[in-house]
Amino acid sequence: MPLKNTSIVSGAQTKFGYLDGISQREMFAEAVDKATVEVGIPKKDIQAAFVGTFIPEMLIHQGHSAPLLLDFAGLRGLPATRHEAACASGATALRAAVMAIESGFYDTVLVAGSEKMTSVSTNRATEALAAAADDMFESSMGLTFPGVFAIAAVAHMEKYGTSPEDLALAAVKAHKNASTNPLAQFQKEITLEKAMTPRYIAWPLRLFDCSPISDGAAAIVLTSKEKAKQYTDTPVDVVGTGQASASMNLCDREDFTSFEASVSASKTAYKMAGLGPKDMDFAVVHDCFTIAEIIASEDIGFFKPGEGAKALRDGVTALDGDKPINPMGGLKAVGHPVGATGVKQAVVVYRELIGEAGANQVAKHDTGFMHNFGGTGASCVVNIFRRSDA
Amino acid sequence: MSEKPTIEQYIKNIDEHNFKAYKCVGCGAVTAPPSGTCYSCGGNEMDWTTVSGKGKLVSFTVIHIAPEEFQEEAPYFVAIIELEEGTRITTRLMGFDPMAPENVKLGTSLVLDYEDGKSGRTYLSFKPA
Ligand SMILES: CC(C)(COP(=O)(O)OP(=O)(O)OC[C@H]1O[C@@H](n2cnc3c(N)ncnc32)[C@H](O)[C@@H]1OP(=O)(O)O)[C@@H](O)C(=O)NCCC(=O)NCCS
Ligand SMILES: [Zn+2]
Repeated sequence: MPLKNTSIVSGAQTKFGYLDGISQREMFAEAVDKATVEVGIPKKDIQAAFVGTFIPEMLIHQGHSAPLLLDFAGLRGLPATRHEAACASGATALRAAVMAIESGFYDTVLVAGSEKMTSVSTNRATEALAAAADDMFESSMGLTFPGVFAIAAVAHMEKYGTSPEDLALAAVKAHKNASTNPLAQFQKEITLEKAMTPRYIAWPLRLFDCSPISDGAAAIVLTSKEKAKQYTDTPVDVVGTGQASASMNLCDREDFTSFEASVSASKTAYKMAGLGPKDMDFAVVHDCFTIAEIIASEDIGFFKPGEGAKALRDGVTALDGDKPINPMGGLKAVGHPVGATGVKQAVVVYRELIGEAGANQVAKHDTGFMHNFGGTGASCVVNIFRRSDA
Repeated sequence: MSEKPTIEQYIKNIDEHNFKAYKCVGCGAVTAPPSGTCYSCGGNEMDWTTVSGKGKLVSFTVIHIAPEEFQEEAPYFVAIIELEEGTRITTRLMGFDPMAPENVKLGTSLVLDYEDGKSGRTYLSFKPA
């Protein structure tokens, strides 16, 4: 049964990237203001906040983030809880908010995600990110996140013949889409040759196969359908949501060419929405690495297993293709402040659906899909959104 | 080998170059790294078992950008190995050139060994059989 009662009425993000001199709380407040008072939603209407942030303890030596961030953003006093699921923190916060509204508990809530990552060196950030994997049995081997997805890439290449050039094409597409996105970390197109510069991070993944280390924040306001029209003429409904987990250890998976939590969360969300992949006009997927976009495009049912790379090569997933994926540039080129990402993905789908994506507008925009992924794929959240008037 | 296996002892065994896996008392399935519950039957009574040390390479990577602790070891292999006993485990690889990973073939038969890393940790490490 499709969800009945939850609408998105605003969504905004800060610029993503190296936000020198701007602290986590400052960017959080900026995103909150953009999603509330700047679009005519008074802060006093917000009844609770669902906050996504992954690991400020290691990045900025700060825990207990939700009240701190809320206080700074002028929302002191509200029930405020942090949701943590590594890179899927943002979407787990969003999902909790959806359930709170569906249940009738609240009418209007804030969902906001953020991360400040450039406060530490790349090696320290790599170490902090590695805490999203099993510290006892995998991180302790020196396995990193690029390494996790490199292992998946090697398996996908062996089974389906996916090539390093296919991976590079995903990077070229991401940078192309981000080149017209003023909020992106990288706003420059790259050539295939540049994407294939052999600077290995975790072989076979090169620099341009990786999402960067980023700062940034994103926020959305959710409200009951009844109240939605009070805030906007073009509400977007949450029609399906799914979440699944998988083994923390990569080695405990049977297959490295697919992520079972993605498959399972997608099925749940499609079933709830009463829709299938063919009904989706576009998708925003968790492309923390180029291979992750290719695998996700298969796991969410857009393409058969092993056919994601072909779809990419054929331009099917390009901004002007039949099934655009990551039309604004994805994590790869827009940046990946981990706790912000899941919320930012919802912001992107929202902006596309209401036709306010500017140069990055997809042609068909009634129904959109988002896929947010955490850690080794041990968490996945999928949401399906549809414009109320569609 | 009848005391209840613990993770602490599992890691100590590796440090002492004396790897042992968990074995489900209920169904006999071999598990490593340790799990609180048997993936095959759902039982939670475990015992130690030795393994043949034979395995096959399922997938791998070479880490170039490493966390600080492992930086001095980079570039290094991290691999997923399927043991003859059926369970899969994340380990290091020895006997291959990390600068020529294209020469490493999936499915290669390997045997268990150990590597004492510059990080001060002892790794399970597999080498060509
Ligand atoms: C790939 C990575 C190691 C590069 O970090 P780095 O080696 O410190 O790179 P630097 O910051 O020194 O940047 C070097 C150059 O590459 C660029 N760059 C950095 N990361 C980039 C990326 N991911 N894609 C494209 N360009 C990138 C920088 O802008 C810089 O360009 P410039 O020389 O023109 O200024 C780092 O971005 C990383 O760890 N990414 C993965 C993050 C991750 O695991 N996220 C979680 C996913 S689950
Ligand atoms: Zn059993």
